[in-house]
Amino acid sequence: MIERLSSGSDRLDTILGGGLPRNGIILIGGNPGSGKTILAQQYVFQNATSDRPAMYLTTVSEPLEKVLRYGQSLDFFEPSALGRSVIYEDLGRTLNEGGLASALECITELLKRNRPGLVVIDSFRALQTYAADLETFRGFLHELAGRLSAMPITSFWIGEYNTTDTSNAPEFAVADAILSLGTEREGERDRRVLSVIKLRGSKSLSGKHAYRLSSAGLHAYPRMADLVNLERYDRTQERMSSGVPALDAMLSDGYYRGASTLLAGPSGVGKTLLALHFIFAGAERGDTGLIATFQENPTQLERILNGFSWSLDDPGVELMYRAPVDLYLDEWVYDLLDTVHRTGATRVAIDSLGDLRASSGDELRFREYVYSLLQRCARANISVVMTQEVPDLFAVSRLSEYGISHLSDNLILLQFLRGNSQLKRALTVLKARGSAHDPFTRQYEITSDGVILGDHFDRTENLT
Amino acid sequence: MEGSADRTDGVYSIGAVARMLGVPAQTLRAWEDRYHQIVPARSSGGQRLYSRDQVDQLTFIRNQIDQGLQPADAHRLLAQHQMEVASSREEQHSSAGPSVNAATTVLLAERDPYAAEFAEHFLRTEGYVVRIVLDSGAAAEILRDEPPSVLVVDLLISGGAGLTLCRAARDNGSVPVLAVSAVDFRDPALAAGADAFLLKPLDPLQFVSTVRDLVGTSAYLRTRSLSR
Repeated sequence: MIERLSSGSDRLDTILGGGLPRNGIILIGGNPGSGKTILAQQYVFQNATSDRPAMYLTTVSEPLEKVLRYGQSLDFFEPSALGRSVIYEDLGRTLNEGGLASALECITELLKRNRPGLVVIDSFRALQTYAADLETFRGFLHELAGRLSAMPITSFWIGEYNTTDTSNAPEFAVADAILSLGTEREGERDRRVLSVIKLRGSKSLSGKHAYRLSSAGLHAYPRMADLVNLERYDRTQERMSSGVPALDAMLSDGYYRGASTLLAGPSGVGKTLLALHFIFAGAERGDTGLIATFQENPTQLERILNGFSWSLDDPGVELMYRAPVDLYLDEWVYDLLDTVHRTGATRVAIDSLGDLRASSGDELRFREYVYSLLQRCARANISVVMTQEVPDLFAVSRLSEYGISHLSDNLILLQFLRGNSQLKRALTVLKARGSAHDPFTRQYEITSDGVILGDHFDRTENLT
Repeated sequence: MEGSADRTDGVYSIGAVARMLGVPAQTLRAWEDRYHQIVPARSSGGQRLYSRDQVDQLTFIRNQIDQGLQPADAHRLLAQHQMEVASSREEQHSSAGPSVNAATTVLLAERDPYAAEFAEHFLRTEGYVVRIVLDSGAAAEILRDEPPSVLVVDLLISGGAGLTLCRAARDNGSVPVLAVSAVDFRDPALAAGADAFLLKPLDPLQFVSTVRDLVGTSAYLRTRSLSR
């Protein structure tokens, strides 16, 4: 069994199948400013102990002074550890005076003297310029890797490697794990992405994982592409009120607990209101509810709520508001899961899917995330309602362009109908997975008590 | 953190512990059954593997018994004194360093020249005389003609001849053997007569203290057999 080295971040460790292989050679490649040095220092401070210190060796592209100056601004940088559990050394001069042979000798002496558990060489790529030819460099790599493998040392080789290097540079063959930090163009902005190119001894999460850099280090958001989990789980038969008694009756006593419901309809028809009914009906019964919205900021939402004698001060209701601009899908989904976990919410309203869709440049990714999110909620018996705006004001012809409708258990269509020259609102339960439902279209009105369902529409009425 | 994990790794065979303490293996087994206090880890083949902490605890028990205590009382005292044992341990070990006899030789039968270079360095800093051989034939000759104080053998030396060396050392009698390997060969190593096993890559501190314990064994045996 291969032991793992933790980054200190559960999510990054998850991407790496539990952590980097301890005592392995880890290569981190990426463009300038992609956070390679930050990531390496994160591992340094997370794992250094006085028994097994970490050594950070700078070569010629990154002056030691600079690494230290910027290192200080990181939250995990611990000045008291310097010289004890974290040792910074500069190899630049040794390299310039004696080349690779001297550097190798110097590294060997440092290994003997400090007995480190972790060694970073930054930049590793710069070392190749000291070799007369590729054969000499290969020889150096062999000698260095032999020494690093003879002791229990995890080493990080850092450099501005790009994708063509992956197949050509000899250090890629020696490495036990290769991480690549890069950016991806998404509309008008760049998205930072981390990918695992090689990981010996374990499976990693495939694909590109979003990450952000802050003074707390590198935050990774594992790509959410949960496989179809065929393992059966307990689905309760318990029903949850939608908050509208007549709608509960149409659904034969409300939604199942843990079900997902899509509320589709044109702008202004009352989707948000129906979602709020579900949340506040839960809060009344002691179910904590989470409103995840992009549409109304807290002030605007409070004004709407007050019109229906609800309030955000309700202790059973949590608001997660994010502006729909500069939103990152991955970050948002993880925030949502964290908030659900923290508050113990069992009812979640997402308003709206369209805003969320706009935050992701890639439709496939959006579907993967929503699918995974709904799967996770279903398994945790958390009920989700989502609103979805449809483009047609009248005579709705299409429901959703994202294929979310077939992912959700219940599908409720809200629409405007013109009957007898009068604008009317109508509700139809198009789908209620696993239960009988009233197939008729029913009229409803919005009053200060919220949505009030009325009669079935008369067949003879002239509706469009 | 790491250092304390090393102290709890199962490393020493029951035979090695019995020799270190001068307590028969069957007595160690009886104590384990009766008091359930010092219970060694088991290898996948079911062999007992004692940790350094457990060797220290057993040393404490034996010292109490030597002073006239019943084994049950000694075990009870151990439970009470765990804290003190832990704090006095550091002194014991730091004082063990300088007492290494200059003539204490370690025969290092290694496969990997880099590993040999580091192992030699760490042993020399502790005052040992080290002989490196990278071939099992040469190791067998030295073992026969100039037996060292301890043999460290990489089981994969010369294409996997390490176990044969372990058997040769056992048949030779007095040379304690530390088997090391990148592959978990605990069971075959112990079956071939190794006194302790460490998985590579070797942690310098754990490696040196294991060698020190095994050398202490032979030194202890010598003084004990002289005094009788």
